Amino acid sequence: MARPTSNGLTKAMQSLRLSSQFSQRSLVPSSRQLTRAYATEAEPETTNTAIQPESIPDLSVQAAPEIDFSTSFLRNPARIVPASPSYFSGSPRFVDHVLHLESLQARYAALPQLPAGEAPRMAWFKLKQFREYVGEAVPVKKYKSLVKILQRLNRIQTEMVPGEVRTVLDSFLRPGNPYAVVRETPELDENGKARAKGKRKESKAVVHLVEGEGEILVNGKSLVEAFPRVHDRESALWALRTTQRMDKYNAWVTVRGGGVTGQTEAVTLAIARALMVHEPGLKPLLRRAGVITVDARRVERKKPGHVKARKMPAWVKR
Amino acid sequence: MIVRRFGVRQSRQLLALNRRSPISSRFLSTETQIPVDTAQKEAPVSSPNPLHEVVQATQNPRSLAQKQFKKQEQQRSKFNKLGSAVTDSHDPEGLLKNPPRPSDITLELLLASGTHLGHSTSRWNPQNSRYIYGIREGVHIISLDVTAAYLRRAAKVVEEVAARGGIILFAGTRKGQKRSIVRAAELAGAYHIFERWIPGSLTNGQQILGHCATKVVNALDEELPEFKADLADRPSVKPDLVICLNPLENVVLLHECGLHNVPTIGIIDTDADPTRVTYPIPANDDSLRGTNLIAGILGRAGEAGQKRRIEMAREGKTLYKPVTASELRLDPFTGVLPGAEQTKGPKRD
Repeated sequence: MARPTSNGLTKAMQSLRLSSQFSQRSLVPSSRQLTRAYATEAEPETTNTAIQPESIPDLSVQAAPEIDFSTSFLRNPARIVPASPSYFSGSPRFVDHVLHLESLQARYAALPQLPAGEAPRMAWFKLKQFREYVGEAVPVKKYKSLVKILQRLNRIQTEMVPGEVRTVLDSFLRPGNPYAVVRETPELDENGKARAKGKRKESKAVVHLVEGEGEILVNGKSLVEAFPRVHDRESALWALRTTQRMDKYNAWVTVRGGGVTGQTEAVTLAIARALMVHEPGLKPLLRRAGVITVDARRVERKKPGHVKARKMPAWVKR
Repeated sequence: MIVRRFGVRQSRQLLALNRRSPISSRFLSTETQIPVDTAQKEAPVSSPNPLHEVVQATQNPRSLAQKQFKKQEQQRSKFNKLGSAVTDSHDPEGLLKNPPRPSDITLELLLASGTHLGHSTSRWNPQNSRYIYGIREGVHIISLDVTAAYLRRAAKVVEEVAARGGIILFAGTRKGQKRSIVRAAELAGAYHIFERWIPGSLTNGQQILGHCATKVVNALDEELPEFKADLADRPSVKPDLVICLNPLENVVLLHECGLHNVPTIGIIDTDADPTRVTYPIPANDDSLRGTNLIAGILGRAGEAGQKRRIEMAREGKTLYKPVTASELRLDPFTGVLPGAEQTKGPKRD
């Protein structure tokens, strides 16, 4: 089948021929009565008479290429079908994912696996992200069952993981790797000063701790002025007291917000953290003393219908 | 002290410790034994430069685990052939991996799969009396020749629907039917549902299945992406045949199929209502082996139908009326071209 070179003239003539009904009829020979299938898709012809043009056409114009019936049959639409075999489940993309993962799990069940705790930690999609990813409202329970399969695949021994499994697992990872970020350990600055923060209730404390003779300044005042109660002073310096470092460090404390107890215990936490920067070996001691345990409790909000957070109004008969 | 040690040695925890029992290949091989040197071998001399070991380790880091696994596999393949050869046994995976064809239906196969067992006589539905062979130990026995005949008829129906390009839906929502359903749908080029049928998927399809993707295919089932834009506001797809393995639990599905004139095939046990489905298959619906068999046979029938359809399409023929490009471009609800509404509007007034 020799196709004509597509120069401008032939193209123009082709378009002319296609536009005029007259010459279009003469294109298909009457002997070949197949299903009509041009790109232009005209109705099948009823007349078999090929009408000859009266005048002799320009000999320099080449005939149009033969019609390729096989390809045009393939280009015709035949049916509208669902894109996925799980169409009728209502969440086809999710079900397809689950079936694919299950088939992988079955195929690679024989591969050696790591003990449960030793598998590399992976940050799978959060439920909300996964819902966006598949574009379907997946229930919590079903997503959990999918994550279970992911975890099982993730437990395949690291050297033995097939490439197929690895790419599939990677497709379920959250963007960015949260477990790759290593928190930098705080260090002393160039003046030998450790800076640490602590919070308790509504109070926030910042402590600058340097080696010294045991002088403490809280908001520019002495400790006795800042905390008149002995108990508060005891608890503020409890980290230094338990480790017998009272006379080894000077602290410069700024504490804002909240009441006296909150401020005191915020200072405790901040001093303990600053002390750990100077002497990391003290951590178990401080842990046992209970000064580096963060107390995350905050005041519970008041609810409508309640007098306070939980208190209900007294019962009145009428 | 001694008693305590004895206790430790004989304790359950020690016995339950996960240790691999050493299988010596000497005991399992049939070949003559080769004298084994039991003398302890010297430990390999470590090279003076410790870097050598590091280099060797980095050269092939995957080697150890893979070698072990390969060795294990080799051992398995080697010893699998040993032992007695068991013939004429039931392979539960066989029904899923290689299901029988409709031509393989025999009464022996049906009997072996337990399709003849009905329910306790007190639970029967009298409409099933024509399928029942008799009573044994207070349980109705389904007549297997009737089962075979109805199963063959159902297989024929599935094959013809597949050959005509119909959309077939396999539904089996009981626990354990998932794999056979998915496999049958895969074979028959059909669709599956193994969890709850969402009520309204047919009667309220636009709401429930509206967001699920569809595609336009040609006669050879190849996707035609150029018609994607025309699929936007189309009503949801409805099945042309529904095969239900547990009609008792899927009353809503069968009801919706009845409303939409969708023919159904169902496994009818002696306690089910045979008029709920178009083509009943009287059989035991409580045995997974039985339902797996029936799903597999129908899947194979669908496979044959699809094959026939594709072969015809290669010759340029179809047994169904294909949707045309101009029909696709029409608005599915008004039946006119998207731009033609303005011209039609004043006429109505």
